[in-house]
Amino acid sequence: MAQYDESSQKLTIKLVYYGPALSGKTTNLMRLHDILTPDMKGELMIMETADDRTLFFDLLPLGFRAPSGLLIKFKVYTVPGQVIHDSTRKAVLSRADGVVFVADSQRTQSVNNGESFENLAANAARVGLDFQQLPLVVQFNKRDLPAILTEQEILERWEKAPWPVLFSSALTGEGIIETFKTLLTAVYLTCDRLYRLQSDHGLDCDSFIAQTLGGSLSSARG
Amino acid sequence: MSDFQSEADFERDLNLDELLKGIDKSRLVSALNVLLDTMVDIMDDTGASLIGDNDSKTVDKVPLHGELEPVGFLQTRTAVPPERLRAAADMMQLILRCNARYLLSSDIHLQTQRDDFEELQRRNVALQASEARYKNLSESLEIRVKEQVKTIEKAHLKLYRNEKQASVGRLAAGVAHEVNNPLGFIRSNVATAVSYLESFYEFNTLIDNGASSEELRKVWEGRELPLLLDDFKDLMNESLEGLDRIAKIVIALKGFSRIDQTETERADIDTIVRQICQVAESQWQQKAKLVLDLSSETPIQCQSAQLGQVVYGLLGNAVDAIEKTGIIRIRTSVRNGVVVLEVQDNGRGISETVLPHVFEPFFTTKEVGQGTGLGLTVCHDIVKEHGGTIDIVSQIGKGTRVTVNLPVQNAIQHSKES
Ligand SMILES: Nc1nc2c(ncn2[C@@H]2O[C@H](COP(=O)(O)OP(=O)(O)O)[C@@H](O)[C@H]2O)c(=O)[nH]1
Ligand SMILES: [Mg+2]
Repeated sequence: MAQYDESSQKLTIKLVYYGPALSGKTTNLMRLHDILTPDMKGELMIMETADDRTLFFDLLPLGFRAPSGLLIKFKVYTVPGQVIHDSTRKAVLSRADGVVFVADSQRTQSVNNGESFENLAANAARVGLDFQQLPLVVQFNKRDLPAILTEQEILERWEKAPWPVLFSSALTGEGIIETFKTLLTAVYLTCDRLYRLQSDHGLDCDSFIAQTLGGSLSSARG
Repeated sequence: MSDFQSEADFERDLNLDELLKGIDKSRLVSALNVLLDTMVDIMDDTGASLIGDNDSKTVDKVPLHGELEPVGFLQTRTAVPPERLRAAADMMQLILRCNARYLLSSDIHLQTQRDDFEELQRRNVALQASEARYKNLSESLEIRVKEQVKTIEKAHLKLYRNEKQASVGRLAAGVAHEVNNPLGFIRSNVATAVSYLESFYEFNTLIDNGASSEELRKVWEGRELPLLLDDFKDLMNESLEGLDRIAKIVIALKGFSRIDQTETERADIDTIVRQICQVAESQWQQKAKLVLDLSSETPIQCQSAQLGQVVYGLLGNAVDAIEKTGIIRIRTSVRNGVVVLEVQDNGRGISETVLPHVFEPFFTTKEVGQGTGLGLTVCHDIVKEHGGTIDIVSQIGKGTRVTVNLPVQNAIQHSKES
């Protein structure tokens, strides 16, 4: 759950990009760091090994102030996708307020996607997250590649699932903001319920999203 | 810092003091002093001085950012060109960021290590619990097995006693036959003798009527009364022998029927063999010729009725081993302070596969209903109780020899129950 610090007037919201190894989680964060222009944007902290594999996590801090003066701070993380780093994945996932599941659209990656999604559900349970209530967006990445599942195939497969499914190409930035916005919408609802963002802090959903994305973007991409 | 929990939480916001951890502050400040050509101070966001002096007057200051918000300030005591101050602050942020990466890495490392360790401990506890469960289970199993063994032993003991009873029963049946025989001829002898008396009563009437001695002699001779008198004597003597035989049988039977005998007495195996033969002869006389070669003559302290059971059991097996007719030899001797009893038959013999099992309880090659399979077990136990051994050699088609060795000294352990 988001952390509300009364004394310093700060609400810290934790978002996590989850998914199999090499599906494009780190690239998602790099694009967000490039594109987003909120009032406060920290540096993207990338912790990876020599072979570009995420070792612990990546972290992108973002923030803006609500009309009430409340600092809304986002900590956007990625998890390491490799199977052996399950403890780290669990630690990063714990207390998450929203999750983007980054799947790899390539046909050959279907099994990895499935296993990683099951791992997400299992770890959510282990760290005490209610998986059914957790704001979650599914992103099928690498749409630019050949030999990928068609959108129709993917939508059919996920038809029964309650989560929104989006398509992206993190390499080019295509669909990255849409994914993030979709997640922010769901996250706003829970945060508003818990911290009365609208009534106590004068922050409605649209400006919550607009301020997170940054001035230029919010008007351009609506 | 003393709090392990917060120390290892990689998500906490690091303050400036933490971000400077491990960095040589005096070198940092003297480098900054030279670069900016003035004295610098570093404050955190609460106004506490981390490097330099709290009270010194500040001319210029520039914020230092953590991951997002300002965590402190770089301050100078004299005026510095703004771009140089920003450049110095920028350089410091690079250093802080590097340190932040290190701190984040070590924090999450610590945290996952701790979580893994706790998980291991949880599993260990779970394992110990299940181990305890299995231990309980195996203990209760052990108890149940012991109970079962007890039940089986009880049933075993009952069967064992039944077998002893049954052998006494068989003995009794033989004895009945054995007693019937002399009884038969004694009865017929006595009847004949009684019929002879008629003639003597008639002779007596003649005497009472005052018959002459001539007349009397004529009748005495004519009726062949002297012959009758001799025959009478023979009949009575034969009957007496028969009665003696019955008396002996009864004595022997009395001895062997004491199957629960616990007290010991001095008895010699030869007498026991003879008595058994006496009471049970009818059981084999159709099939087997019995050859006795008894020369032990040494009395031993024993439970004679029990040893009688052994002799009777071995004899019974020998008889059963003979298909049509055969010879059974019973030999006794004393060798090196050991009384040796051998029962040998020339019956069908026991195969090599069966032989090792013949002393096992309930092992039998006889038809169902013919034997409980306890016969040799009973023999074995009785001999063991007398401190002796029992061995068996056999050859298919040739016959079987059972050898019982009973030590003369200490022949019996004075234990009650086997
Ligand atoms: N073609 C293509 N490659 C991508 C895309 N997104 C990421 N990649 C590449 O996939 C590899 C793994 O990406 P990365 O973000 O490190 O994956 P992570 O393990 O999920 O963090 C890198 O070489 C990326 O350049 C995409 O949308 N299209
Ligand atoms: Mg990565």
